[in-house]
Amino acid sequence: MVVYRRGNRRSVLILLFVTSITLITLDVRGSGPITGARGVAHDVVAPIATVADKVFSPVGDWVGGVTRAGTLKDENSRLRKELDELRGKAAQNRAFESENEELSKLLDLPYTEDSDAIAARVVSGSPGNFEWTVQIDRGTSDGVAEGMAVVTGAGLVGRIVEASGDRATALLLRDPKSGVAVVTESARTTGVAQGRTGESTLRLDFVDPTANVDEGELVFTSGRDNSRFPPSIPVARVEKVAKKRGELQQDIVLAPLVDLDSLEFVKVLRSPTTPAAPTEPATGEEAPTP
Amino acid sequence: MTWLVRLKLAALVLTTVVLQTTLFPDLRLFGVAPDLVLVATIAVAYRVGPETGAVYGFASGLVIDLFLQTPLGLSALSFAVVAYGIGILHTGLSRTPRFIAAMLGGAGGLAGGLIFVVLAALAGEDQVIAFRTIWVLVLAAVYDALLAVPMFPVARWAVGSTGAETPAIRGARST
Repeated sequence: MVVYRRGNRRSVLILLFVTSITLITLDVRGSGPITGARGVAHDVVAPIATVADKVFSPVGDWVGGVTRAGTLKDENSRLRKELDELRGKAAQNRAFESENEELSKLLDLPYTEDSDAIAARVVSGSPGNFEWTVQIDRGTSDGVAEGMAVVTGAGLVGRIVEASGDRATALLLRDPKSGVAVVTESARTTGVAQGRTGESTLRLDFVDPTANVDEGELVFTSGRDNSRFPPSIPVARVEKVAKKRGELQQDIVLAPLVDLDSLEFVKVLRSPTTPAAPTEPATGEEAPTP
Repeated sequence: MTWLVRLKLAALVLTTVVLQTTLFPDLRLFGVAPDLVLVATIAVAYRVGPETGAVYGFASGLVIDLFLQTPLGLSALSFAVVAYGIGILHTGLSRTPRFIAAMLGGAGGLAGGLIFVVLAALAGEDQVIAFRTIWVLVLAAVYDALLAVPMFPVARWAVGSTGAETPAIRGARST
């Protein structure tokens, strides 16, 4: 039988409270040992998680299929149409691509295709409800490091925020902590594509209020100001532009080109502009503090 | 508390963390995942009382914190406080109401979520300050209530007869 003493109870709670506050403070300030502890935890759990993932992924796929059955049918027919259009455009783009590569070399600009890519499989999503991340099955032993860009064939997915030996965590574009320096397709106006809490769309901030941004046009990574992302990676499509008279900011909503809800395989870019193991956040890539 | 019970509780932490990080990200309802580790904490605290429950909650919260991008210690503190509250509440119960698992799972899940959000906001995690948070907390609490039903027998197995001697447990044992 456990006999409770009020003083003893309180002292345990106070001790746990003080320890938690100390840990929170250390982590917010960016303590090295805590980052290391996270990496160790990922590596320890990785073998068990791999087995568990193999066992549970059919269950997850089945539930996903059932809950999204209606939208999947519409999506399928829409994607077939888009595929036909894109096949035509791809043939056309080949000529432009080689021309662009030659011109970029002449100007000594880093080119996305120069990037050394690491193919990875998405093993799980975020375990929490207040962050939008995915975990991939490649880590520092494969050359993955913090800050590297993550892409699919359709465009930018996000960036690596944590890497352990065999696993890495990528922060998705839609996470409010994610901010990507971008440039618009036609007017070449720069801005920051910013994630929004609970929304599947992004917001384009810090855009010149006089700039002409049209609905439907694409935005690409700008690659400027020591950006971690190589230039010209497609990021999103402009979904909505609202410009009210007298306001200094345009209200621009972007739809990511990549379906961030159903990622299976991604590529991690070891960009020629990206340092191997960055220690400081790059200018213009972090979400601006309000 | 025997070493066997401690071993079982450690296994429970590991199992719930693995399930939370591998299975439940794919089992979201309307984009919301339950908090299995918190549900296990509630179930354990119900059996072992406030003091040991708070320690279990702190330990399990700390482990799940290692897999989140929010500051380390946020889940640990919120789980410890919820476990302490559940333990205090339970020691005061003279009889066990029906559907106690679902009720405590839902209420504890909501309280744990609220404490987490408040602490996260204080720690500068602005993404939690949104209208969607209310929806997330309520839906996650409903999900937690459902998961608590199978989790309570698991906690009873893990803790065995080591649990806190509360009026409700004494009453259940005598009948």
